[in-house]
Amino acid sequence: MKTTLVKLFALASVVLFTGCAQLTMGTPQPTAENTTNLKRANLAETRLGSFTLEAGKPAQMDKGHSLRGANTVQAPTNGSFAEYVRESLRVELAAAGLLDPKADAVISGVLLDSQLDPSMGTGKGSIQVRFTVTKGTEKRYEKALTARSEWESSFMGAVAIPAAAQHYEGLYRKLVGQLIADPDFRKALAK
Amino acid sequence: MSVLFVAAAVFLTGCASVYVDTATKEVAEADIKRPATAIPAALVFDFQTNGAPNARVTQALKDQVTAQVHKTGIFQLTSGDAAGKGALLTITLNNVPITKDAAQQGFVTGLTFGLAGSAVTDGYICTVTYVPADGSSTVVATAKHAIHTTLGNASAPANAVKSASIEEGVRTMTRQIVANALRDLSTNPQLK
Repeated sequence: MKTTLVKLFALASVVLFTGCAQLTMGTPQPTAENTTNLKRANLAETRLGSFTLEAGKPAQMDKGHSLRGANTVQAPTNGSFAEYVRESLRVELAAAGLLDPKADAVISGVLLDSQLDPSMGTGKGSIQVRFTVTKGTEKRYEKALTARSEWESSFMGAVAIPAAAQHYEGLYRKLVGQLIADPDFRKALAK
Repeated sequence: MSVLFVAAAVFLTGCASVYVDTATKEVAEADIKRPATAIPAALVFDFQTNGAPNARVTQALKDQVTAQVHKTGIFQLTSGDAAGKGALLTITLNNVPITKDAAQQGFVTGLTFGLAGSAVTDGYICTVTYVPADGSSTVVATAKHAIHTTLGNASAPANAVKSASIEEGVRTMTRQIVANALRDLSTNPQLK
């Protein structure tokens, strides 16, 4: 791979200046694809409920992933990946003008699983979230969605670690995209 | 391995040189088609590495890109929580590996590529997307660019301009590629 600049940056920041690194994911941003799909879907306005780690799962699953030793990746949203899911969805809904704190429909989420493996050769990551849409006392949607990704993972940790963090971050956009594209989700929020 | 060599050269000996390809050129202000009234839109800029979000570089280039869009006069940038009920303008700059024929892929001119052994080339794809308030008739424009990095006494690549630093090279590439994509977007009759 010849993404030299990024790798140089990684080498500079990770290898030369620190022995280990805590990588914080970027603030979620809306995407053209998701925003367009939401705008075209003719959905009712909604608000967001709680997004939490599933009960019984190890707390660390929500807080961070180790990347080859002392390096970790974590979310900027109170150090919670579940809240990162919420924020990723919030920015897309806001960009599409579909967010209303007084709306009847509420979208909630439970982080069921989160995996990140930056092993040499092929890196792998996945997240699974159960989304729920309720309107009043009626549950209109409940489904567990999974986003997965694989990428070329260098033998050099200084290259592989930031790459793993970036691909893991990309999973959240992907997952939100899956939710937005789900016909059942659209049906649950139809006007 | 090339990255290892380049990194060693840059940080340990400082003998790497950065060149911005000249296939993608500067855009004259006169080539930008400005609407009678600037189009209100919220701007989202996203730098990616192989399609994955790269928050650090996004942050580093965000102000430059925002200022550039503002200067074109095509859009009146709105702030706040993205577009809301309004339009959205997204600019994605993706750093991609160039494998075989960079010229054929449109990143560089034919003469530039073919640097052997002591050089690496990074490709960039800029995608500018305008999403109107109702989500209909999305308008998209793209542009490509490349940066070459050489080591030691390797000869300078043809059709490329040397930069004083990596940062200067990246900022120059960003300015040029975004300008080209914005120019193409501005001349699209669907942009209203």
